[in-house]
Amino acid sequence: MRGVLHGLVAETSRIAIVDLEAGLEHLSRGTARHVDTLLVVGEPYFKSLETAHRSFTLARELGIKQTRMVANKVRTSRDEETVREFANRHALDLLSVVPYDTAVTEADERGTALFEHQPDAPSVAAIRRLADRLVEAAP
Amino acid sequence: MKIAIGGKGGSGKTTIAGTLARVLAARGLPVVALDDDSNPNLALTVGVPAGRAAGLPALPRDLLEERQDAQGQTSLELKIPTDDFIDRYGVPAADNLTLLVMGQPSHGGSG
Repeated sequence: MRGVLHGLVAETSRIAIVDLEAGLEHLSRGTARHVDTLLVVGEPYFKSLETAHRSFTLARELGIKQTRMVANKVRTSRDEETVREFANRHALDLLSVVPYDTAVTEADERGTALFEHQPDAPSVAAIRRLADRLVEAAP
Repeated sequence: MKIAIGGKGGSGKTTIAGTLARVLAARGLPVVALDDDSNPNLALTVGVPAGRAAGLPALPRDLLEERQDAQGQTSLELKIPTDDFIDRYGVPAADNLTLLVMGQPSHGGSG
């Protein structure tokens, strides 16, 4: 049944945004066939970056066309340096850096969408820039 | 543009996926957000209240047909156009944005 739903991604005329199962070990050829970009979200600490690195390797093996990294919950310039240095060293395409943002937790606690809770939050601003870059890169 | 977003649990992947979908839809681009997580919570971040996101209704069999490819592999395909299916079975989340929840535990072969 899921094969049908994955096919939707390929066939819809709309932009498709797929929130995958947590943990990239679930990544399947089915998903890989139908997406043009995989965004791997990682946090600025070593274990998370290592996991992201492994996801890039797996994505390559599955034949995903393009994999890009998004660093999330970045608190300090040192965090950002850590991420950039790691990405450079392993040749991971770092698309965006999204800052740690209390608006995300607030929205969660209130059970509302971040986009509605605080449309001008720093994290939302970063995701707008991320969207700009994806649109620029779109075929 | 077909984007998949992955990461460890707690990495914030769902917040990024849902907010990205809202940002693109707010620009007037038609977007479908698909929740492929077996613990689905994309609904909240795209703006669908919890009660309305109980999940995708079971697909009626008469919308599906079995097809065979050149290698003899059979697959189920939709009999109605994909975008009609999304309109019919998706949950409206915002202007230009429809949510489809596909993360119910799958039975048998998946992918």
